[in-house]
Amino acid sequence: MNPQDLLHLFDERAIEAVRPLLALSAGLIVLLLSGVFDGLKALRGPIVVATLLFGGWLTASNFVTQPGVVLDGTYSADRAASAWGLLFVVATLLAWLFSHNYYSDEERPFRLEHDVLMLTTPIGMMLMGGAQNLIVFFVGLEILSIPLYALASFRRNRARSVEAGLKYFLLGAFAAAFFLYGSSLIYAATGTVQLAEIKAIGIHGPLALAGVALLMASLFFKISVFPFHLWVPDVYQGSPTPVTALMATGTKAAAFAFLLNAMFMLPAKAAVLVAVVALVTMALGNLGALAQTDVKRMLAYSGIAHAGTLLLVVAGTLAGDPESGGALHAALFYMGAYVFTAAGAFGLLALLERDGERFTSLESLKGLAHRRPVVAAALTLFMLSLGGIPATGGFLGKWMVFSSLVRAGLIWPAVIGALLSVIALGYYLRVVIAMYMQPASERDAATQSVRGVSAMPATLAAGVCAVFVLVMGVLPSLFLDRLP
Amino acid sequence: MDQLTLITFLPLLGALLVLLTPASQEKALRAIALVTTLVVAVLGVRLYLQFDGTSAALQCAVDKPWFVLPGSAIAIRYKLGVDGLSILMVVLTAVLMPTVILSTWGHIHKRVKEFMVWMLVMQTGMLGVFLATDLVLFYFFWEVSLIPLYFMVGIWGGERRLYATIKFFLYTLAGSLVMLVAVIALIYHFRTADIEALCAQAGSLELTKQLWLFAGFALAFSIKVPLLPFHTWLADAHTEAPTSGSVVLAGVLLKMGTYGLLRFGVDMFPAASLELAPLFMALGAVGIVYGAFLAMAQTDVKRLVACSSVSHLGYVVLGMFALTRAGLSGSILQMVNHGISTGLLFLLIGMIYERRHTRALDQFGGIASTMPIFAFFLVFTVLSSAALPGLNGFVGEYLILLGAFQAKPLWAIIGVLGVIFGAVYLLVATRRVLFGPVTHEENKHLEDLNVREIGLMLPMVVLAVWIGFQPTPFLDQSRGSLDRVMKKIELARGAQSAALEVRPLTTEEVVR
Repeated sequence: MNPQDLLHLFDERAIEAVRPLLALSAGLIVLLLSGVFDGLKALRGPIVVATLLFGGWLTASNFVTQPGVVLDGTYSADRAASAWGLLFVVATLLAWLFSHNYYSDEERPFRLEHDVLMLTTPIGMMLMGGAQNLIVFFVGLEILSIPLYALASFRRNRARSVEAGLKYFLLGAFAAAFFLYGSSLIYAATGTVQLAEIKAIGIHGPLALAGVALLMASLFFKISVFPFHLWVPDVYQGSPTPVTALMATGTKAAAFAFLLNAMFMLPAKAAVLVAVVALVTMALGNLGALAQTDVKRMLAYSGIAHAGTLLLVVAGTLAGDPESGGALHAALFYMGAYVFTAAGAFGLLALLERDGERFTSLESLKGLAHRRPVVAAALTLFMLSLGGIPATGGFLGKWMVFSSLVRAGLIWPAVIGALLSVIALGYYLRVVIAMYMQPASERDAATQSVRGVSAMPATLAAGVCAVFVLVMGVLPSLFLDRLP
Repeated sequence: MDQLTLITFLPLLGALLVLLTPASQEKALRAIALVTTLVVAVLGVRLYLQFDGTSAALQCAVDKPWFVLPGSAIAIRYKLGVDGLSILMVVLTAVLMPTVILSTWGHIHKRVKEFMVWMLVMQTGMLGVFLATDLVLFYFFWEVSLIPLYFMVGIWGGERRLYATIKFFLYTLAGSLVMLVAVIALIYHFRTADIEALCAQAGSLELTKQLWLFAGFALAFSIKVPLLPFHTWLADAHTEAPTSGSVVLAGVLLKMGTYGLLRFGVDMFPAASLELAPLFMALGAVGIVYGAFLAMAQTDVKRLVACSSVSHLGYVVLGMFALTRAGLSGSILQMVNHGISTGLLFLLIGMIYERRHTRALDQFGGIASTMPIFAFFLVFTVLSSAALPGLNGFVGEYLILLGAFQAKPLWAIIGVLGVIFGAVYLLVATRRVLFGPVTHEENKHLEDLNVREIGLMLPMVVLAVWIGFQPTPFLDQSRGSLDRVMKKIELARGAQSAALEVRPLTTEEVVR
């Protein structure tokens, strides 16, 4: 390809489509530059926020104007991709707000690096969400993953955090290799890495199928689906909590956005297999969570269960859900609710950790309703939303997932899935019990807010999450009417 | 604002007011809760007086857009309405609540603010369940009403409260989520969530589909009632709940189950109900006797009443699935009766518990000599619960047994046995509490009921006598709707016997 053609590719539509990416990258560079001068320290926070807000605004405008598939069919900025893009920006912004004043003083000198790494992730996520080409997805995946490896081990003086980073890196590297290997097999079989062309040619023969299997393994790893979910508890627990929030929401959403685009590669016969894998994931996640005494680790397992639930829509689509876009609607709403709920829950844990509740164990949450009634109420709301109780966003997300199954005629998986989500309430309610129904142990009752630093940004973010969770539950038309 | 929205959401507004009041102002908190429920009660009575029982149509209907499911464009609407199947439940919920709130003066002393918030939220949830005429809205309220009781039992409950509250929540939720799948299937099949429309159309489904959907709904409601194999959560929840929680649980929450069976079982799937009626009548009848036996074996008074609940709700189910006019009217009335008499029993047990701090039967005896007023109310309530003619319980049980006898004499006979057993455990327990010598020193100086305690029970006592002597106005409220339901049942019965006519007629059918 000569340079002339390259310029030709960047027509107006293409520039419109990649504006959010450009804006985020520009903000990233400005942020890096601001690190050179100590005098600009105070500006770093506003730069991060402004970049994300601007990127979000551009994504929203793409959502309206819909530039469509651009750059020789490799990248798409249609309604769906823009909706996912908005979610990514929101997830990053929330995670960043929660990280404000989260780290202890000895970790703080590297604040700039932290922010830069965090601001890099939405670029990767957007590339993943909009990718119409296996290689573009892979580039996005790496742009997302490498900062996350570093962020996971950001509390470098804590063994668990370092362990989390190392584990995530090693297994993530495997997953990336799987993806590349799978892509190369698909390329060998079909002669292309463009999704549209693969779709036209179709997946035939063992070579292509092996490629698809490897590809799916890699995606399942990122979404944390059985049997590629084992890394999640350790990594989620060990990472700094705001980073966990980002991994749980953003990464999962980005990988799922692409899974929906690449779903056509799976044969229709695989519907039952996918349903079984999803149900096993739900069961393992829920049963695993039931055994935890650490809330963060419990939420990690619950994240596995949610990944399983969401995967059910893939099964529904493969089994012939008559409603076109049913999977996309369900996934967008479900993930949307999950982003606010999980980010809110992890964020509140981060807030508590920071304010001197030294641990995230259930034990230390006892009596929280007395010490901090508002935090306890918000955490209760998030637990109920994770459990899919009505009046929260989680309920309608669950509704849409199950309705996709029912429409496709997969009644039994729907019933089993519904029953498995009963188990989930067992541990979500344990958090509520600890906060409201058990007295604090003496040590915790004496603990006061020790650091006395501003909690404004984190509180604000948690408040926003709570409002969204409620609005999505009570006035869902605000969101449903805008689904692509 | 329309009447039904006002009734439903006024308690929620009250809850918000309570939330904004500082926790130290206990008097103000209680006052806000009481005034709110009193206003709702007045509105409820007004609704009752306006209601036209001869009409089968939804009355005071509200219909506003809520949201549209994407893709399929199925409109989910905010629809409320009241008909003959729900009017008595709505009024019961509205009228019972001031009593419940007043009763908390005696036993809720910690975290009053939170308790009032949950009580009021609960009332909104319960009224919503009875008033919603959109299936999604119904499900919404159905699950939301779980949460307040979860907190009430978990925070203000007895020793094993955590176990009881988790058990209650998970049991009911398991049923609800299976129902969710049925709800989704039904909505996507008919592409509407309007309960009236679904009731009109669902009968046209082929029988196997009806049976599956019916099973999905019935599981959730059977757990809530609770019907026989699912009853174990109830005894724990009742025993551990604070008095007011028990009253609401017995008075209204369990009725959500029987109401659901009526509206989403009998009314929506008449053919399936007809098919499964023998099973449900059997479960009801066995539940009556089994519950009575359970009650006889209890040493804890509260647990005894909880078990008697299982027995009494067995009547409701027995009458409902007799699928006769008498059985259905009786079972609707019996829902109210059970709310009154079991509610009163729990209140009385709460009052004696506040004085003695025990509920063990052998800790009492001779209370009648120290607390004559209490004794009067207890005897009255026990007689109402044991269906003494002239009191409310009699009318309901008589109609139910009559209806059941018309349908399946065997189960009616077993049900009658239950009446006898019921009298046995209730009267034995009363004797052990009230009469005989005073064996415990503590029982010699018990304070009798005060004005508040008498006052809060009076409305229910009046109702019990009123229904006992004048049941017709109450029964008439559901006349129009029951006519409609009976018409459907007759149609289904006709279709069923038409299907049976292919094989040679049995003697029974020839006689008919």
